[in-house]
Amino acid sequence: MRRRLAWALTALWLVSGRAYGDESEEARLRARLKPEVATSVIEVVRSAAAQGLPTAPLVARALEGASRQAEDAAILDAVRRYSAGLAAARRALGPTARASELDAGAGALMAGVPEDSLASLRRARPSGSLVIPLVVLSDFVARGVPVASASNTVLAATRAGAADPALLRMRERIHERILRGEEPTGASREGLRELLMKTPGTPKERGNRDPHEKGRP
Amino acid sequence: MNPDDRWDDEVRDAYHRPIEGEAQARERGIARLRREARARRSRMGAWWVDPDVLRVRPLVFAASLLAVLVIGAWAGARWMASRGAPAPPRSIATLTGESTAVTFVFRAPGATRVSLVGDFNGWDPNATPLARATTGDVWTTRVSLEHGLHAYAFVIDGRDWAPDPSAPLAPVTTFGRRNSLLVVGEDQAL
Repeated sequence: MRRRLAWALTALWLVSGRAYGDESEEARLRARLKPEVATSVIEVVRSAAAQGLPTAPLVARALEGASRQAEDAAILDAVRRYSAGLAAARRALGPTARASELDAGAGALMAGVPEDSLASLRRARPSGSLVIPLVVLSDFVARGVPVASASNTVLAATRAGAADPALLRMRERIHERILRGEEPTGASREGLRELLMKTPGTPKERGNRDPHEKGRP
Repeated sequence: MNPDDRWDDEVRDAYHRPIEGEAQARERGIARLRREARARRSRMGAWWVDPDVLRVRPLVFAASLLAVLVIGAWAGARWMASRGAPAPPRSIATLTGESTAVTFVFRAPGATRVSLVGDFNGWDPNATPLARATTGDVWTTRVSLEHGLHAYAFVIDGRDWAPDPSAPLAPVTTFGRRNSLLVVGEDQAL
């Protein structure tokens, strides 16, 4: 009897907490957006929640649009597209992907990274978090590295077993090279080469091969 | 002894005969040379300080000035490079349990107000102002963030949005400018 009561209370606490969270998000949206825009955005958010997608990134996107004084249609469009991006990221990364992975994956997909690349990343790191690899990939695309080169660079590094700190160091080195005026594709190639040369257990000759060549990595 | 030999002896004697006052004359000559050297040195010193008119071709003057400037700039750049360029300010994250305290650092020359906006404060430009550091154009603030992926930017003087130059960039530009990305609780992206 006590156990049932405990389960009931726990369930009630979870439901109330979830409901409170949703109400809190909706209240924030209504406080910052025009009523009709807020209603439309809330519909998208509720639909995402029903699909089991994270809703915080959608709310954040709407609030960012409000702070940047974007047009109503642009805000609603951004929220809808990001919701679709989250759904696509879950398709690519699998049903067990964490909220932060879906968030990072949605951004990468919206920047033009194909779903196959995300799925390959998941296969390269089946149990570990993909947040840092996806953030590094997104950063490369944002800095002008072509999507194919950026995807291949991060995928090759992840397959080689590079840990997150090594990926972040590679990002910084490639960023510095681009700032010095190097062409982004060449900079990413050299950054990956340096990482592979320093990654334990990676054959040295592998670091001298071009990871961007066809059929690689 | 024939007359020629005698003549030779007389000439030789006359040549070796001490001249009256020779030593005094030598001393006077040396003293005169020293005076002339001192006077010459004095005139050279006066060249540097006495007002005078220098006649220089304008083209030569301009070329000389340009050469001095170029050499000076080159030498200065080499000196700065040897000292190492100053590192840009970087945001720093430190792990403190379930959330993480993150110090955001941003350089904004000439700004009168800088604030931090992100998904953690509802992108509200008034929520998280930065304080100006004692070093002038560097602004900082410290925020406790939950673990996960965060997007953020800096707002300068309430109107200009700028990403963090030391952080990864978000890949999409939905509302005009890119945001920065921060991962808390993975391996500390910053």
